[in-house]
Amino acid sequence: MHNVWLIARREYLERIRTKSFMVMTILIPVLMVGGIVGSLLMSTRTKSASHIAVVSQDQQLALDLQHELETGKDSKMLVDVISPPSARTRNTLDTEIADKQLDGYLWITPATSATARPNFTWTPRSVGDIVTKENITSALRPVLMRERLAHQGMVASEVDALMQPVAVDTTQAGKSTDTTSAFFGAYILFFLMYFVIMLYGMNVARSIIEEKTSRIFEVLLATIRPEEMMAGKVIGVGSVGLTQIAIWLITAVVLTSTSLVSSFAGGNVHLTISAAQIAFFIVYFLLGFLLYSSIAAALGAMTNSEQELQQLNMFLVMPLAICVFALGVVVNNPSGTMSTVLSLIPFCTPLLMYMRISLSMPPAWQIALSIVLMLGTIYAILWVASRIYRVGILMYGKKPNLPEIMRWLRYS
Amino acid sequence: MPVVQLQDVRKVYDTKVAVDRMSFAIEPGTIFGLLGPNGSGKTSSIRMTIGITVPDSGTVRLFDQPFTRTALHRVGYLPEERGLYKKMKVIDQLIFLGELHGLDAATATRRAHTWCERMEITEAIPKKTEELSKGMQQKIQFISTLLHDPDLVIMDEPFSGLDPVNGKLLEETLIDLRRQGKAILFSTHRMDQAERLCDSITLISRGHVVLAGSMREIKQDYPRNRVHLAFDGPSSFLHHPSVESFESHPGHTDIKLRDVPGTLSPDAQPLLAAAVHSGARISRFEIVEPTLEEIFIEKVGNTGLERVEESKVYA
Repeated sequence: MHNVWLIARREYLERIRTKSFMVMTILIPVLMVGGIVGSLLMSTRTKSASHIAVVSQDQQLALDLQHELETGKDSKMLVDVISPPSARTRNTLDTEIADKQLDGYLWITPATSATARPNFTWTPRSVGDIVTKENITSALRPVLMRERLAHQGMVASEVDALMQPVAVDTTQAGKSTDTTSAFFGAYILFFLMYFVIMLYGMNVARSIIEEKTSRIFEVLLATIRPEEMMAGKVIGVGSVGLTQIAIWLITAVVLTSTSLVSSFAGGNVHLTISAAQIAFFIVYFLLGFLLYSSIAAALGAMTNSEQELQQLNMFLVMPLAICVFALGVVVNNPSGTMSTVLSLIPFCTPLLMYMRISLSMPPAWQIALSIVLMLGTIYAILWVASRIYRVGILMYGKKPNLPEIMRWLRYS
Repeated sequence: MPVVQLQDVRKVYDTKVAVDRMSFAIEPGTIFGLLGPNGSGKTSSIRMTIGITVPDSGTVRLFDQPFTRTALHRVGYLPEERGLYKKMKVIDQLIFLGELHGLDAATATRRAHTWCERMEITEAIPKKTEELSKGMQQKIQFISTLLHDPDLVIMDEPFSGLDPVNGKLLEETLIDLRRQGKAILFSTHRMDQAERLCDSITLISRGHVVLAGSMREIKQDYPRNRVHLAFDGPSSFLHHPSVESFESHPGHTDIKLRDVPGTLSPDAQPLLAAAVHSGARISRFEIVEPTLEEIFIEKVGNTGLERVEESKVYA
């Protein structure tokens, strides 16, 4: 046990001191926050501040559109109304566009029959100005609807009441937390776990290859068992991963509580991560890391170089990638049969069961079963991996084939 | 009481016999040479001696006890494939390796400094290993092997790749360790080194022991049938009946005498008499014992030394 501790401590200290650890610790949250803020900005429609003209026979329609475009929630445009148009209007407008006084004009041709809609022709200065066009399109719908409703005899106040946006409040049963931000928190932790398991699993493999290429392991093997060496590596590298996550989580909690991030990200983003969520996160992260890093240890012992490792990477990446694909299934129906089955597969358990717990608490027996299944799988994989490790670490030169690896398992 | 004792050790990998019926023993205060061509089973034997691999049959005893891992704290091992953590500081590295051998951090630090002074590389202590020259790294490697003051020192091909200065330094260190009563096992395929250093040797080929014993006994068992000769004048005496073959070099001639049945070493006196009688001026006439290299070649065959290096690493 003392040897395991020595190996783990060395692994931990050497890794914590590296520059790449510092860089990763800072860079990943920056990228994550950047990505989230970016996608938020994309999802809230971009506002256009163009100067346009609306040409229409129907003055009421043009004024309504002007009102919607200038004061509506999606746009802040400057709109000139030309109603009714004269024969020279089109030429004047074209000149103004050429002089860059106008960003474009919308020509409304009245409908030919009572039930048909008018025709709209948009002439922009730059065809690339998609945002303005989209703003106009989305502004036209309520305007037309309002007009049609007014035609049917509704009073303006009734129309306004009808057009009010609907607000739906969601609360999880028995909880008063804001589920949107809870989901948000779960989502972030899901990808955090995915990322860290992958990253540090690879680090275990890499660290073994490094010892193989530097030949240091044979000195180590003269005093410690391969099993101790492997255990020490997995524990040491895993602790680095936990340290990194701890730094991130503490930073996230501090930042969100000071509302710095929330004001930055538009006012309504704040992470809600409950204590239970963090506890389950740690349990499933540890189990997941143990599972994947022992696979990685075996892969590292089998190969001689990073390049060879790349070829075997899929054994690590594939199961994790499947989890990400399955995420949609779980999010849509966390308690469904499909979600239950997927989340009980040990390779998917850490990510998917954790996600289910965050979304809606699955039955306790399922959580217990998933942990038992994982522990069993981890034991089996460690058994196989330590045997592969023990033999593989002393092999260099050629890459073993499958029958050879099967033989290694039988060596005492 | 032998420090190391291997008895009828056998190791087979798949169909290849790596080591078979291997036995040897090393006494304290002696240097033992494990000799043989590449791929003959030296590394396999060493790995079984320190429990990196387990023999299929036979027994390994360390310090007169059946093998246990706790005994490994008294062993210093320098593998053939040497290596250190490149990115780690020298002092951290030495402390780490010392602690793995059961030292506490304070003792390891103190000894690391003492050894670095002795090896004259104190300036390397705070540096990272990758910043050091190859020769310095080699010295660090010796220190890491000897830091915990092992009673048994095992070095696999320790002289390969060493510059002459470090080679000399290692030789002196080994002799010093012998004086302190340590047992030293080293493997080599360089016979001149073994001849200079070893008290006893075991010569192996293709996993089998072909020759074993103390250096003195081995040499005494081989005939002193070579003569180094330097002369001026007629060379007709070289065709004397007692001469089996000769090789002329600039400045001297090597002669191999014909074996005489019933005696171990042939008598060189008739040849000397014939040479003097023929009128040659003799400036040197020396009867030499065979070198270990000659014995080795005779035992293993000339091809043994140059045999293509097979996959020399077995698990």
